[in-house]
Amino acid sequence: MALAGLRVLDLADDKASFCSKLLADMGAKVIKVEKPGGDASRWVGPFWENVPHPEKSLSFWYNNTSKLGITLNLESKEGQEIFRRLSERVDVIVETFPPSYLEGLGLGYEALSKTNPGLIMASVTGFGHSGPYREYKSCDIVASALGGQMYVCGAPNTPPLKPYGQQAYYVASLFASIGILLTLLERKHSGRGQHIDISLQEAVAASLEHVMVRYFYEGVIPKRQGNFHWNPSFYLLPCKDGHIVLSPLMEWETLVEWLDSEGMASDLTAERWREEEYRIQHLDHIIEILQRWTKTHTTTELFELGQLMHLPWAPVSSPGEVLDSPQLKARDFFVSVAHPEVNAYFTYPGAPYKFDRSTWNIRRRAPLIGEHNAQLYHQELGFSRETLDELSSRNVI
Amino acid sequence: MSAGVLRGLRVLDFTWVLAGPYATRILADFGAEVIKIQSRKTARGAELNTTGYFSTWNRNKLSITLDLSCPEGRELALRLVGMSDVVMENFTPRVMPNWGLSYENLKKVKADLIMISMSGTGQTGPWRDFVAFGPTIQALSGITYLTSFVPDSPIGLGYSYADHVAGLFAALAVLASLEYRDRTGEGQYINISEYEAMCTLLGPAIMDYAANHNPVIPRGNHPNYALAAPYGCYKCLGDDKWCAIAVFTEEEWQTLCRVLSNPPWSKEARFSTLRQRREHIEELNELMEEWTAQYSPEEVMNSLQGAGVPAGVVKNAHELAEDTQLTTRGFFVNALHPVLGKTTFDNTPIRLGHTPARFQRVAPSLGQDNRYVYQELLGMSHQELSRYIEDGVIG
Repeated sequence: MALAGLRVLDLADDKASFCSKLLADMGAKVIKVEKPGGDASRWVGPFWENVPHPEKSLSFWYNNTSKLGITLNLESKEGQEIFRRLSERVDVIVETFPPSYLEGLGLGYEALSKTNPGLIMASVTGFGHSGPYREYKSCDIVASALGGQMYVCGAPNTPPLKPYGQQAYYVASLFASIGILLTLLERKHSGRGQHIDISLQEAVAASLEHVMVRYFYEGVIPKRQGNFHWNPSFYLLPCKDGHIVLSPLMEWETLVEWLDSEGMASDLTAERWREEEYRIQHLDHIIEILQRWTKTHTTTELFELGQLMHLPWAPVSSPGEVLDSPQLKARDFFVSVAHPEVNAYFTYPGAPYKFDRSTWNIRRRAPLIGEHNAQLYHQELGFSRETLDELSSRNVI
Repeated sequence: MSAGVLRGLRVLDFTWVLAGPYATRILADFGAEVIKIQSRKTARGAELNTTGYFSTWNRNKLSITLDLSCPEGRELALRLVGMSDVVMENFTPRVMPNWGLSYENLKKVKADLIMISMSGTGQTGPWRDFVAFGPTIQALSGITYLTSFVPDSPIGLGYSYADHVAGLFAALAVLASLEYRDRTGEGQYINISEYEAMCTLLGPAIMDYAANHNPVIPRGNHPNYALAAPYGCYKCLGDDKWCAIAVFTEEEWQTLCRVLSNPPWSKEARFSTLRQRREHIEELNELMEEWTAQYSPEEVMNSLQGAGVPAGVVKNAHELAEDTQLTTRGFFVNALHPVLGKTTFDNTPIRLGHTPARFQRVAPSLGQDNRYVYQELLGMSHQELSRYIEDGVIG
């Protein structure tokens, strides 16, 4: 595996637990460190069987595959000492606490890197570790708003809309994981680790495609455009059984011929429509005729025929349809992961990359609360069963 | 290009538009020598060097011209591969093999080559040749369906978010493969599906359907699985002015009530616990909006954040460009471009303490680095280069 031998401590909640999942599925040994009783992100749904329970969170399961899990009370002196010792034995720490929290416990990057100069620490916070908002609180919707995403999502007559799911957390986690691998490569030259400072706001603002580009170069402030893509190259239209994303301007002659063969082209066969400029000016008319036509078809018909004609069309798919996708099935995208404690297998999305040498896989389901306490505290720090019981009775572990 | 984390790493970049160039931009920002292969025939639209779009996604890179549709051009491409560590491309799957530039062929000239192919749906499977752009992929992945207020009227994102996501996975795959090469001496071939990349960012929704058969539906700005209420986007004073607010803990709820001067409704039983507040979120949101509508979004955000409640102004592009947090952290970078004049682009969110990203050059003009790459790196004579240019092989 690509990252075999890499050792990571994961202190992150759902803001960045995906970061070390990416590393763990590529072979890193990731130890999730949770407070006694389990991390708060275990209460984030959805839940298996729809029952809120810290061992049944599907989002926790998904974001923590291939990791080991221990519990540790960082707010106790002994817990801090144990953490300091653990930090000397790893390459990377990923954390999502407010900027001054770990420092306040004496566990900030400065302090920890004194005893482990090669240590890499990635901090994912709402706004980063500097600047006037550094102590402000954030979450997915706040990052989406302040990162410029929500303003351009939605329709002209609706409020701004947050893209579905915890997109800010996932994108920030991707940036953090790239930062970690960059610093690992750098460490080979310099021998030293670094602190990586990831801001949710910046992660969102850095993945807006045209939005800032058009502002800086054309002075345009992009607005919410509903079913329109930002430029008129894509549009979303209703079919018999759902919706299709189609391109009303590309491969014009092919498209008109197709409509015409079904007697639905109306006046679009006229010469004047061959001019792209004219089409853009009269897009509403084209959309009206296209919509009359798409409503006579199913999404599958339009998708398959359209793609045969090299039109970049696609059905607007629900999660259920994603699970049924023949393409994803053919590529074995979904992975079946064993949960031995409930004697069942669950379907997980797999990896978007296929490496032909280094393997990628989900080696185990997310850890149960404190599942590897005995094993890891013994292995890493030599704790005996008695020491563990004693630490546990004092709520350190 | 001698400084930076990835100094000495050479990337031969066949990518175009956004997904691929976004990945190679990350490598270039951290010091890799990224050689972008262009051709006069295809330098249009997103690949036109003198546009803001191109200059944003292609800073720090070199540009050479090479006509891959002729055999001599492909021969030169193979020579360039021989001196590169990484090859990246994001054509539809048949393009590189048709040029004789499949991984099988490339690794004959560079045994430990790392090659990444990015495409809409991957290099295999029944849809492999389907034409896909960002909006196509977003529709297939479920995010278009789920990003809306009601199930029968999807809206989606309106911009090519999936291209960024695929680019991030590609950059991560390159770095993981470098790590693997350092340890084993082996290169490898990686194929990336943008479709799958987008699906991985919808993991919990997909698992909810798979495990529970729950109909996962769009619900606007509803908290969904977030353990928060109030939660949403609230109308403020002014035209199209909004503020997002999310109240997670009991402490945050008490603080919110205090900031709102403890309105009578805040004491009602239907809002007494998080569970109750989530159940009555629509009524709660209406009451909240009566308050937010009296203030500018900045006032709402500052009074709430000042007291410890998560809140954020819904910022448009102009407001983002002037955001004090982003500008204090140097998120926008200015540079002088020989054609475009003063330009501004986004910094990288990857903030490394000791070895930050560097902006050493603006995006290249078409073929700007032909002399350096063909003469200095490949050892071509001046005459040879001139002949290739005359013949249109380098052009």
